[in-house]
Amino acid sequence: MPPGLRKFALTAHITFSVGWIGAVVGFLALVIAAMTREDAQTLRAVWIAMELTGWFAIVPLALASLLTGLVMSLGTRWGLFRHYWVLVSFTLTILATLVLLSNMQTVSFFAGLAAETNSADVDELRSGLWGELLHAGAGLLVLIVVQVLNVYKPRGLTPYGWRKQHEQRTASPSEDAAING
Amino acid sequence: MSQTHIKPNHESPPGTPRWVKVFGIIALVVVLLFVIVVFTSIGGPHGPGRHIPTPTPTIEVQQP
Repeated sequence: MPPGLRKFALTAHITFSVGWIGAVVGFLALVIAAMTREDAQTLRAVWIAMELTGWFAIVPLALASLLTGLVMSLGTRWGLFRHYWVLVSFTLTILATLVLLSNMQTVSFFAGLAAETNSADVDELRSGLWGELLHAGAGLLVLIVVQVLNVYKPRGLTPYGWRKQHEQRTASPSEDAAING
Repeated sequence: MSQTHIKPNHESPPGTPRWVKVFGIIALVVVLLFVIVVFTSIGGPHGPGRHIPTPTPTIEVQQP
């Protein structure tokens, strides 16, 4: 990948990844606001806001982060399966995205319930908040772990990465210093 | 004065780093907890389906 394109892809990846964390924090703020208020009107409004935040901010940011992460790993010498930190980051991001997409079905269900003007299921709306607190809280923790891995890049080659590096070393001994030096 | 540092030519792949092992153990514990919670129904059924009421069977009365 040319250096200019690589910088652009890296900027996009950082923007989407940090944006994903920020959107989850906003989602958590809504959950906590609903848990600490007594009125049903706020509860209904929060569920509808959570659905909008989820589908129009968190999901697009998650998919964009995953896609730009793939471009960054496959388009550079880091690779997707060569270093443990890339592999763990990728696995955690895939898991977080799958859980997010699954959980959004629940959020949409509650938002639909909240939008019904005659619905009196305030207790059910309130009980659903605990699940969202757990999902968003655990999701935020996973995203922070991924962020830490991406910044610190702990050492460790996978057997596949070691084999590839070994092949490159034997082919051209001076080229492998860029990443692992 | 020139001194070349030649890296040792390892013939076998390096072992799994400690941090990866720690991550693996944590992941295993989380998966086990999830399986226990889902299959023992401690936290109730998982997913949006738990909120959808199950349809009650209707008895059709045949008119003569």
